[in-house]
Amino acid sequence: MTQQRHRGLRRIGVLVAVPAVSALTLAACGGGDDDSGSGGSGGSADSFSFAFENASGGQENPWQLLADQYSEETGVQIETQGLPPDSYGLSMRTQLQGGSAPDVMMFSPGAGNANAVLPLAEGGYIEELGEESAALIPEGNESLFEIDGKVYAQPTDIIPVGVVWNSGAASDAGVEVPADESAMLDDCGTLAGDGKSFLAVAGSAPPNMGLMAMAISATRVYAETPDWNEQRSAGDVSFADSEGWQATLQTIVDMNEAGCFQQGAAGGGFDAITQGLTQGTSLGAFVPGAAATELAKATPGLELQVQPFPPADGGEPFLLASPNYALSINASADEGAKEAAREFLAWMAEPENAARFTELQGGVAITGPDENLSPVYEPVADLLSDGDYAPLPNLAWPNPGVYDALSTGVQGLLAGQGDVQSVLESIDQAWDQ
Amino acid sequence: MTATMGTPQDTGAVVRGTVPAAGGGRPARSRRSRPLITYGRWWWALPAVLAVLLIHYVATAGGAFYAFTDWTGIGDFDFVGLDNFRRIVEDPALIGSLENTLFLAFGFLIATNVVGLLLALALNRTLRTRYLLRVLFFMPVVLSPLAVSYIWKFIFDFKGPLNGVLGWFGMAPKTWLADPTLALWAVLVVMAWQTTGMVMVIYLAGLATVPAEIEEAAALDGASTWRRFQHITLPSIRPSVAIASTLMLIQGLRVFDQVMALTGGGPAGATETLATQVYKETFALSNFGFGAALALLLTLIMLVFSVLQQAATKDRS
Repeated sequence: MTQQRHRGLRRIGVLVAVPAVSALTLAACGGGDDDSGSGGSGGSADSFSFAFENASGGQENPWQLLADQYSEETGVQIETQGLPPDSYGLSMRTQLQGGSAPDVMMFSPGAGNANAVLPLAEGGYIEELGEESAALIPEGNESLFEIDGKVYAQPTDIIPVGVVWNSGAASDAGVEVPADESAMLDDCGTLAGDGKSFLAVAGSAPPNMGLMAMAISATRVYAETPDWNEQRSAGDVSFADSEGWQATLQTIVDMNEAGCFQQGAAGGGFDAITQGLTQGTSLGAFVPGAAATELAKATPGLELQVQPFPPADGGEPFLLASPNYALSINASADEGAKEAAREFLAWMAEPENAARFTELQGGVAITGPDENLSPVYEPVADLLSDGDYAPLPNLAWPNPGVYDALSTGVQGLLAGQGDVQSVLESIDQAWDQ
Repeated sequence: MTATMGTPQDTGAVVRGTVPAAGGGRPARSRRSRPLITYGRWWWALPAVLAVLLIHYVATAGGAFYAFTDWTGIGDFDFVGLDNFRRIVEDPALIGSLENTLFLAFGFLIATNVVGLLLALALNRTLRTRYLLRVLFFMPVVLSPLAVSYIWKFIFDFKGPLNGVLGWFGMAPKTWLADPTLALWAVLVVMAWQTTGMVMVIYLAGLATVPAEIEEAAALDGASTWRRFQHITLPSIRPSVAIASTLMLIQGLRVFDQVMALTGGGPAGATETLATQVYKETFALSNFGFGAALALLLTLIMLVFSVLQQAATKDRS
């Protein structure tokens, strides 16, 4: 009788324990830090969390290095999260909505990228910043950082975008930087005959196609009409009717026909760019200036410089350059963490720290070219000093779909699909979504 | 059905603990020594049923709800009725994705089943090296689709081995993954190459149930190989046909990994499928509402084709 009761009790115990343990396990997995305040990730005046893009995943990332330096100097603890660029925007959106976002986050200015800051600021997820941050915004870039005069992101440095040019390989091939489009197309034919190419492109990677189109649009569109994006937003112009954009895409078609790109360019990946540039089989590529610095560092003896893309015949050189990264503070962070975050942003804005970051990232100082300007940017120093540059166009576009339409459209032109006009119409369609 | 009740094979009563003792109304086993499964009442499954309902069906229904909104993944949203679906129908790029999905799904279904069945027939009985060959043909199945796709991407590369082989024969190299007319076929080849081994195993299991004596008898009666296959083998492996074709159709309709790894949907959308469009619209372009509409459409298409396919392969005997 006693044994029977014991067995019965054991069975009941098993019955109760299994769901109880399950519930506890689930609670432990899902348990948030209830005492962490209103959805922020916790933190106090002497600690905060910081998320940024880290393509390589290594510790040599400029954001990581600056965070380490700040911790060393001030004793403030920073919990860093280096995330892959392709999922970074989605991760931040999800974490912001779930109330688990870091206190400081790296974003892209404007609204045109998946990791753009302004849509998040509009949703009330981003803390307004002060005058110190506002003072760093380059003239003409205010709309990328502000909504109704309130600043939501602090720029770090300027990244020029043109053609990264292998000076050594060009010299060996007897080619100089062409002065205009006709000269460039002539050089393309000559180089193709020698088994080389004027440019290496990643035709299978739409973002590289988009960057090429934007770099070319600097002289065909934004040199003459710097406020073209504002006009498009107002509905005064359109891509399909823009002679500048038509010329931009037509230039790509002409370059393709003239053999400016490496063989099999339509199927090339980013490896084709790095191989072409480092081995000297291609003289140039469309990559951000910061990547040129990185490539030059990684390949001893490689002479890379950023050149403006050759203008249309009779045109003047013009460049794209803008702060492509910015720092923001989570509006839901604890007050202590917010305070620590503000102090970090103020520290980042100090000239010597900003210069250190610029050097590490391979950009140009947010205040413009100075004595620390990397030799990579020497050919475009005058353009930068004279203000002959426009921000990267897609930063000011209203949604990521516009850049996607441009990128895939150009990819199609390279692969023989579609025509210039249909691509431009699809971009307009994406803009109006 | 009723004929089998109470037969030695019917173990239900034992499991339920209700078998009466011979010559008496008392249970054969005392309450004390009942197996634990005696306590297997329906409510034991309740937590699992609830979990499946909440995690799978309610979550899916929640996703379907967003298909009728313009949610961007952050902030508020408005109901837009059927606008998202209207946009899908009116967008040629999305219609192209639908066509690509159907092409890949049915191409995959046919290729894997035909080749898988031929391999199974070839490696079923007589060949001495059949065990080794079965392993070799099945091996790609256990590999990651992404890893396989990246290997094939190297093979299809402009400077890759495939063009090298073409070069030996004096043929011009091709941009396999960047040519709109070739890219979709290339994706199909990779999909079929990796999965045919799985279909082969399903058919081998089916062929194991075909009695050799009947085939031998038919052969003695003068039936040709084709007639033996048509009238003995195929009817015998009908359940395998149903399983293999259903699995391959569903797998083909939801193809994602291979497309993303090989072409990313390019060139210019030439290899986009509904699944890649769902990912792109939802996670790359932050059009959560529109992405949910695409996902709902894909789910409905899979449901319809699965039902049709089940009906087509139903055993009417």
